[in-house]
Amino acid sequence: MGALSQLGAAALRVCEPTSLLLMIAGVTIGIIFGSIPGLSASMAVALMLPLTFSMSSSLGMNVLVAVYIGGISGGLISAILLNMPGTASSIATTFDGYPMAQKGEAMKALGVGIVFSFLGSIFSFVILTFFAPWLADVALKFAAPDNFGICFFALTMVAVLSSGNMVKGLLAGMLGLVFALVGLAPIDGTARFTFGIPEMRGGFNTLTTLIGIFAVADILVSAETIGKGIKTIPVKKVKGFGFSVAEFFRWIPGAIRAALIGTGIGILPGIGGSTSGMLAYVTAKNMSSHPETFGQGDPEGIVATECANNATIGGAMIPLLVLGIPGDGVTAMMLGGFLIHGLSAGPLLFVKNADVVYGIFAACMICALIMLIVEWTCIKAFVQVLKVPKHVLLPLILVLCAVGAYATNNRIFDVQSIVVFGVIGYLYHKFRLPTTPFVLCFLIGRMTEEYLRRGLMRFKTFGAFFSRPIFCVFFAIAVAVILWSLYKEVKASRASK
Amino acid sequence: MFFRKYGDIITGLFYAVLGAVVIYLAGLLPKSRVMKIGPDFMPLVIGSIILVLALMLLFSAVKNFKANSAKAEAAGPDTADYKRVLASLVLVVIYVNILAPVGFIISTLGYLFLQIIVLAPNDRRSAKNILTYAIIDVVFVFAVFFLFRYGFKIVLPAGIFSL
Repeated sequence: MGALSQLGAAALRVCEPTSLLLMIAGVTIGIIFGSIPGLSASMAVALMLPLTFSMSSSLGMNVLVAVYIGGISGGLISAILLNMPGTASSIATTFDGYPMAQKGEAMKALGVGIVFSFLGSIFSFVILTFFAPWLADVALKFAAPDNFGICFFALTMVAVLSSGNMVKGLLAGMLGLVFALVGLAPIDGTARFTFGIPEMRGGFNTLTTLIGIFAVADILVSAETIGKGIKTIPVKKVKGFGFSVAEFFRWIPGAIRAALIGTGIGILPGIGGSTSGMLAYVTAKNMSSHPETFGQGDPEGIVATECANNATIGGAMIPLLVLGIPGDGVTAMMLGGFLIHGLSAGPLLFVKNADVVYGIFAACMICALIMLIVEWTCIKAFVQVLKVPKHVLLPLILVLCAVGAYATNNRIFDVQSIVVFGVIGYLYHKFRLPTTPFVLCFLIGRMTEEYLRRGLMRFKTFGAFFSRPIFCVFFAIAVAVILWSLYKEVKASRASK
Repeated sequence: MFFRKYGDIITGLFYAVLGAVVIYLAGLLPKSRVMKIGPDFMPLVIGSIILVLALMLLFSAVKNFKANSAKAEAAGPDTADYKRVLASLVLVVIYVNILAPVGFIISTLGYLFLQIIVLAPNDRRSAKNILTYAIIDVVFVFAVFFLFRYGFKIVLPAGIFSL
C-alpha cells in the first residue's frame, strides 16, 4: 500500500470521535502547559504518559503527539503577552511579539504566531510523512564534528545579535557560557565550578534560567517604575487572524526558509527548538531589507521563530521514529511512551507497526489543525491577561514560575537558582547588556563543548574536522558571519564619529 | 545617572575579574589523560576571551568617559524606585528559601500578598484594594495548589502542612 493510501486510512481512524476528543484535550493541555512560564511540553507529556496506559498503542501515541504539539505552540502566548517565553522554543518570539503587544497589536501578533506555527508544523509533518527514512539516513551522516560546526555557527549569531555594541554583547554571552560550564563536564564527568554543592553537579536547568532571566528580572525592572501609576495597554480589535492576504503572501518566502531551518535542526538529535527559533530569527533579520525594524515589533520576526520552532517537531520525530533516537526531553518522553505500549521505535517500527506510524503522521497533521482552531478561538480570552494590572499579574506569574521550577526536578535548588538568574537579568538591564546572547550561549554552550570533545575523541585533532564537508560548510559560514559582523561594527563606529 | 556614567567601567572591571577567576579555576581542574583537551580546556578558552573583551571594554570606557559623562548628565537624574526593587528582591529571596521548610501554601500566601502590596502604586493601596488583593491571594494559592497537587499530580512542598 502506498504512503498516501496508508495515510488516508490512518486519518480515518484518527478522526473517530473518541480519538478526536482525546486529541483536542491533549492539544489544550499542551497549550496550557506551554503557555505558563515554568511548565513545559516535556512536563505535559510526562504527566499524560501514565494516562495513556489503558489506551490502545495507536491512540496513546496520538494523545502524546497532541500534547507535544500544543506544548510547543502554547509558548508563544506568554512570550507575546508577557515577554516571558512559555517554553525555550519561543524565546525569540518575545523579541517582536512583546513590542507588538505593547503597541496594542497583541491580537495581530497572536494571529501571526498561531497561523505560522500551524504552517511550520504542517510543513515538517509533510516532510516527516514522505521523506522520514531518507532524512534519517542524512541525520546519521552527521558526526560530532558536524554538530560542533552547527553549534559554533549558532554561537556566532551572538555577534549578529550584538550589532551596535559588539563587545558588550559578546561579554553578555560569555557569562551564559560560564554558567553552562557548571556541573559535570561532558565525556569525563569531572565536577566543574560546583564549589562542593551537590545540587550543582547537575548544572543549571534551562527552564529555571529562562524563568529567572525573564520573569524574576521583569518583576525587579517593573518595580522601578510601577509606583508612578498603572499604564493600560490598548488592544486593537482585528478581523480574522489580524493580517491581510497581501501580508501573508509577503511573509511566505521567509516562512519557508524558517520551516526548512526548523525541520533541519529538528532532525539533528540534541540541538532542539530553542536553537532553531533563534537561528531562524537571526537569519530572517539578516536577510531582511529592513533589519532595523526587527526587535521593534516586526511580524516577520514572529513568522520566522514560530514557523521554525514548530517545524522542529516534525524534524525531531524523524530520528525518533526511524532510528529510535530521541532528540530532546520531549521526544525522550515519547520514546518512553513507545516502550510502555510495547512498540520499539526504529527501522522495524515501519514494518511491524506501520498502522501506528501512519496513525502518528495523520495525528500530527490533525493536531496541528486542532491547535490552530483552539488557539484562534481563545485569542480574545488570551488578551484579557493584558487587562490584569501589572502589580497583581507579575507576582502571580512568579508563583507559577516557582512551582514550575520546583516541579522540573522536585528540588528546591532550582527554585533558588531562579533568583540568581533574576538578579543577573536585572543587572543586565541596569548595565544595558543584552540578555539574548546570555540565553543563547547558555543553551548552546554545553552541547558545543560536548560535540567538540566527542569529535576530538574520534578524530584526534581539530585539523581532521576539516576532512568533513558538513563541518567545513558550517565553519565557513560561521567565519563569514563573524567577519561580516566585524565589518558592519567598524563601519558603524566610523560613521558615528 | 550612575549606571550611565560608570556602567561600562564597572562592567569591564567585573568581567576582567570574572575572566581571571575562570582562568584560575580552570587551572585547578585535572588535565585529561586520554585526549588532548580535558575539562579545563573550555573554561580556559572562555576565561581568556572574557579577559580580552573586558580589557577592550575598559579601554573604550575610559577613553570615552568624558563623552559618556556628558550624555549621562544630559539624560537627567535616575528616577528608578529602588526601594520597591529592593523590597521585591528581599521578598523573592525569603520566599524561595522558606518554600520547602514552611510549605507552598503558607509561604505563597504570605509572599503573594506582600509582593502585590509592594508593587501596587500608592493610590492602589486603600483598604478596599488590600481586601481585594487578599481575596486574589487566597483564591489563587489554593487554586494552584489543588490544580497541581490533584490535577497534575505534582507534589508541592508540604512543609508544616500535609494535604
